[in-house]
Amino acid sequence: MIVQVLTDVLVASVALAVPVLVASSGELVGQRAGVLTMSVEGMMLTGAFASVIGATTTGSALAGVLCGATAGLLFGVLQALLSVTLRANQIVTGIAANALALAGTTFGARLLFERGTAVPGFDRWAVPVLSEIPVVGPALFRQTPLGYALLAAVVVLGILTSRRTGWGLSIDAVGEDAAAADRAGIPVLRIRHLAVLGVGLLSGLAGTQLALSEVRTFSDNMTAGVGYLAVVAVIAGSWRPVPVVVASLVFGAAQALQFTLPALGVDVPFALLVMLPYVLALVAVAGLVTHSRPPSGLTTTFARVRAA
Amino acid sequence: MNLRHPLSVAVLAAAAALAVSAVLAALAGATPVEAGTALWEGMVGTPYAVGSSLGVMAILLLVATGFIVALRANLVNVGGEGQICLGAVAATAVGTALPESVPAALALPAVLIAAAAGGAAWASIAAWLAVSRGVSEVITTLLLNFVGVAVLLLAIHEEALLRQEVTSSETLPQSAPLPDAAHLPLLGVEGSPATVAILLSLALAGVVAVVLARTATGLRLRAVGLSRPAAHRLGLPVDRLRFTSLTSAGAFAGLAGGVLVATAPFVLAEGLSSGYGFSGLVVGLLSRGSLAAAVLVAGALGFLVSGGINLQLAAGVPAAVTQITESLLVLAIAGSAAWTVTRARRGRTRGRTVRSPFRRPPVDVSAPPDPPGRPAAHEPAPQPVGTTLEEARS
Repeated sequence: MIVQVLTDVLVASVALAVPVLVASSGELVGQRAGVLTMSVEGMMLTGAFASVIGATTTGSALAGVLCGATAGLLFGVLQALLSVTLRANQIVTGIAANALALAGTTFGARLLFERGTAVPGFDRWAVPVLSEIPVVGPALFRQTPLGYALLAAVVVLGILTSRRTGWGLSIDAVGEDAAAADRAGIPVLRIRHLAVLGVGLLSGLAGTQLALSEVRTFSDNMTAGVGYLAVVAVIAGSWRPVPVVVASLVFGAAQALQFTLPALGVDVPFALLVMLPYVLALVAVAGLVTHSRPPSGLTTTFARVRAA
Repeated sequence: MNLRHPLSVAVLAAAAALAVSAVLAALAGATPVEAGTALWEGMVGTPYAVGSSLGVMAILLLVATGFIVALRANLVNVGGEGQICLGAVAATAVGTALPESVPAALALPAVLIAAAAGGAAWASIAAWLAVSRGVSEVITTLLLNFVGVAVLLLAIHEEALLRQEVTSSETLPQSAPLPDAAHLPLLGVEGSPATVAILLSLALAGVVAVVLARTATGLRLRAVGLSRPAAHRLGLPVDRLRFTSLTSAGAFAGLAGGVLVATAPFVLAEGLSSGYGFSGLVVGLLSRGSLAAAVLVAGALGFLVSGGINLQLAAGVPAAVTQITESLLVLAIAGSAAWTVTRARRGRTRGRTVRSPFRRPPVDVSAPPDPPGRPAAHEPAPQPVGTTLEEARS
């Protein structure tokens, strides 16, 4: 009994943690490069919307993934243009971009999506043997193909941008002191642009995962703040990969309680469960922020100008 | 006419945003004339439309006034939504607890003060975290929005809290209506739902404008906003000023929540705050810290939001179009900030640095401020964070 309960809770937690994890691993690279992308929420929502529209119109889930990734990437282009090229306030434009995504997808859903349409999605595929491991097996090794691909992408990204690679060092250099990195010959703007595009791509895919692997439909504001949790996971994880993964898992688990606790027959007001991930996020940010040091150049902008 | 003047940029951005919206309306099947007529009818077509537009304007102006107060101390209050919710919850709690016999002269102020206190209390969490632990208020107020909306949900779903008595399975999850004495009086124009809220918000905006521009408090807030180390050296209570300014911002947003429950239909229900927090932030941002501008922008957006509802009813265009217009406006204006030339900044616009909210210059609160007359020669001047190449070279 207790094993069954643990298994169920873990399965739900991992299911909701994967989108947060995918988005936050992109956001981690972005913030390490010195760009705070607040529009992860909007990118996820746009990715979810585009993937659902793509999947329903073509009838193929794979085409849906392509649409979701493209939409996220385009959103990344917009945000990179604002944050890096135009040197606009990253927080203001990020929040406005989220509002744009929310209104845009709501508008688009009225025109393009009929509620109750069957959305082609991905089915779960259990890894033989490994998925039989008690408790953790079903949670980790019974994902959709898209889920496996995204988790693999996160691992590869983590290795490529770790502090032991040239790329990782360049990213950190740009995020710590853009002017010094520029003098050392590191292409500051190119790295920052690529980082924000990466945030867009991964967030779009995170939204796709949510829409095509988990929910299998689109509803207005279906991300409902998950993107902000991904941003906070990076801050709460002190800009280090492993703690960011842990924070993403915790936020996923906190969201999962919304579904697992009522299923277990525990009578807790729904609203309390809705606020739980955000309360946890607040506590994490408030409790951990003084023990960590953000990249010095976070949200500062950079431009090369002729010496006056 | 200088194209790079902030005003021309704002006009260009507004024109572009409206053009995009017209295209979207056309996509939704309404000709520009139909959409325009529906929008116009919804904004000023009837006394009812004008009244409800003024109501929205009052809410936006209250939130924006608070935003500007916090911005003066260089604090960005993104938490309008949550503060509105908490203000509304507090107002409802007090309003529904009042005995019927309480006169309006007491009931209405009690409800509104409770609302302001609720919003202030909610903002004080973020203010305390910002002051004592250095946590970015942007992140905390943002997260508190989600928690605040959930608090409202909790309050209206639990009978032990504010939910009206459940008599059948059809009882809606909302609070009992406020007693008559706690209703905001109507302005008395026939067929118009306009209440005194608009007068209240205009008066408060006027008071805040005077306080910010003409009093020592206003100057102190400005000093803190421009440079915390410098304000600290002057002996200003930096932490207290920052705490107070963000908390006041919450009070104004909370008051907006109180106004929302004290106007028809006088109940606390789900979706009460929907979008007003963000729109208020937009007004605050677009008015660039000027309350006179805030009144104009709140008017424009208030009428636009109100007209957008009619756009959906009369022309079948989703009301989301007005939100798209709003966010495009912000993106265009924020995106052109580096391109815009204001007089003060002319000549050095290209390497502008936006300061990181995460790496604020450290202020040693334990050390007493330097006595006047003695320059702090032993300490290097505080370096601006995130120096750009241009600043490093100049």
